[in-house]
Amino acid sequence: MENAIVMKNVCKEFKILNRHEGLKGSIRDLFSRDYKTIEAVKDVSLEIARGEIIGYLGPNGAGKSTTIKMMTGVLEPTSGEILVNGLVPYKERKKNSEHIGVVFGQRSQLWWSLPLIESFKLLRDIYMVPQKDYEEMLELYRSLVDIEPILHKPVRQMSLGQRTLSDILAAFLHNPPIVFLDEPTIGLDVSMKDKIRSLIAGLNEQKNTTVILTTHDMGDVDALCKRIVIIDEGKKIYDNDIEHLKSYFGSYRTLRMRLADDTWEERLIDESREDVMDVIMKKQKEQKIKDIQLQEISTEEVIKKIYEGGNRS
Amino acid sequence: MSECTTINESKRPRRGLRFYASIYRKILVQDLKSKMSYRADFVISTIGMIMTNLSGFVTFLILFKNFPSINGWDYHHMLFLYGFSLIALTPVQCFFDNNWNLRFQVQSGDFIKYCFRPINVFFYFMSEVFDVKGLGQLAFGIGTLVYAWVNIGIPVTPWVIVKLVLFLLTASLFMIAIMNAAAATCFWIIGSGYVMVIMFRFKDFAKYPSNIFHGVFRILFTFVIPIAFVAYYPSLAILESDNIPVLTWCAPALGLLFFYLSYKFWMLGVKKYDFTGS
Repeated sequence: MENAIVMKNVCKEFKILNRHEGLKGSIRDLFSRDYKTIEAVKDVSLEIARGEIIGYLGPNGAGKSTTIKMMTGVLEPTSGEILVNGLVPYKERKKNSEHIGVVFGQRSQLWWSLPLIESFKLLRDIYMVPQKDYEEMLELYRSLVDIEPILHKPVRQMSLGQRTLSDILAAFLHNPPIVFLDEPTIGLDVSMKDKIRSLIAGLNEQKNTTVILTTHDMGDVDALCKRIVIIDEGKKIYDNDIEHLKSYFGSYRTLRMRLADDTWEERLIDESREDVMDVIMKKQKEQKIKDIQLQEISTEEVIKKIYEGGNRS
Repeated sequence: MSECTTINESKRPRRGLRFYASIYRKILVQDLKSKMSYRADFVISTIGMIMTNLSGFVTFLILFKNFPSINGWDYHHMLFLYGFSLIALTPVQCFFDNNWNLRFQVQSGDFIKYCFRPINVFFYFMSEVFDVKGLGQLAFGIGTLVYAWVNIGIPVTPWVIVKLVLFLLTASLFMIAIMNAAAATCFWIIGSGYVMVIMFRFKDFAKYPSNIFHGVFRILFTFVIPIAFVAYYPSLAILESDNIPVLTWCAPALGLLFFYLSYKFWMLGVKKYDFTGS
């Protein structure tokens, strides 16, 4: 199988100054060499095939962004090897940038005051996309999503959803073999989320683009990814099919009960071991329950479960 | 299995000066178009710039009505220096004004977007802002310079014009370099705003002949923070007919060198910065 990205034993350390308190401490910090090392990514190896959509998950601060920054050539790994499209991203940042698209953390990369179509034209020139390919891409966009209402609108006047949509379209414009999407659906309403998911799926299918998707939204993962990779505290703890993961979070649910004194009690229930109704009945014998809620387990909790259970992939 | 396939590099033209010039022009045209659509903003900021220059100019006039000569520099020579410095400060104002936003973008993490395009990060960052206010300053500077020029009675020859253009460019390179270096400190320190403000204030010293400074300050403004090169030394190439100091002749090379170093320092900051936060 062809690989788009290969990571071998990649580590990334940050050196952070140990800060001391108070004015005296600040002065001491000025001259201090007292650094503490934080390992953001620890020995991660990964192979991503062409055309795959990978869900890259993990709690905040797990090292997702750091990994992506290394793959895009913004950060240099402390040790280990990364190849993206056969290039070492950090050494050839500009060349690497030609063959990737990035939508990063809800920060628009488009020209704020320009209408979208002008941004597209500038990107066409910057990436030296032939006019024919450019027009074909616009045609493809038209077939997948209604772009007319946003095409002549300045980015600063767009809603969050329109802006995200624009950024995704801009990331695919030069038809890169790999696109990185960092939380593309955060803060969007249901219908916009849906639109964006089907756009990503459509572009992946039409152009065989490899997509690395980081998200906290299990809906994104369900709609788009076959394979997911989870990291926590910098370590890869899960790398397998989504079906495999579903067996974890499918059997767990969070039960919330509002008691007589209006406080909420939360309990994580493993449905393979105990029944939700039994738990409620048992509780009701002790005290009155005014209200109940049943929640599907969140990504964070699945990850926690997997982490506690060790690497079972 | 662990092989990573390489993309076929089709024969693309290299991104050279012509490419960057054309991209800059396109961004500029679009930017001006959208600025025109915010007419009130445009008018107010232009008026603001004229007022700022005017008040500086009036202060200057009052000063020189009272001290007719400073260290052998008479009123018109001083005016020449003043106009010269205004013109030399135009490029930094027009083309490199985004340096003022650098620290905010770096601290908020927004800066990372400049690292995802297959073009030079420094170019991409600076190309985003063209400050129209600089044009008002330019017009003011040209007016002052021409007035002083005529009153001093400098002959207009092709050689003088070549010298004027060359040394104006030289002078502006120094100011650009100072601001680049000052802005780039934000990659290492949090209080870089103060560094920028101090450096920007220093430019006011450019309007005075550096031979009025003595000792430590003269050395400081010549070799450490080369404010003396923003107007004084380059302008001597026009004002003096025979005894032009060596430093004036060295200025173009020094300007290029200083600009190059400041650019390298700026890019080093980009490379070394950790981009923490998502």
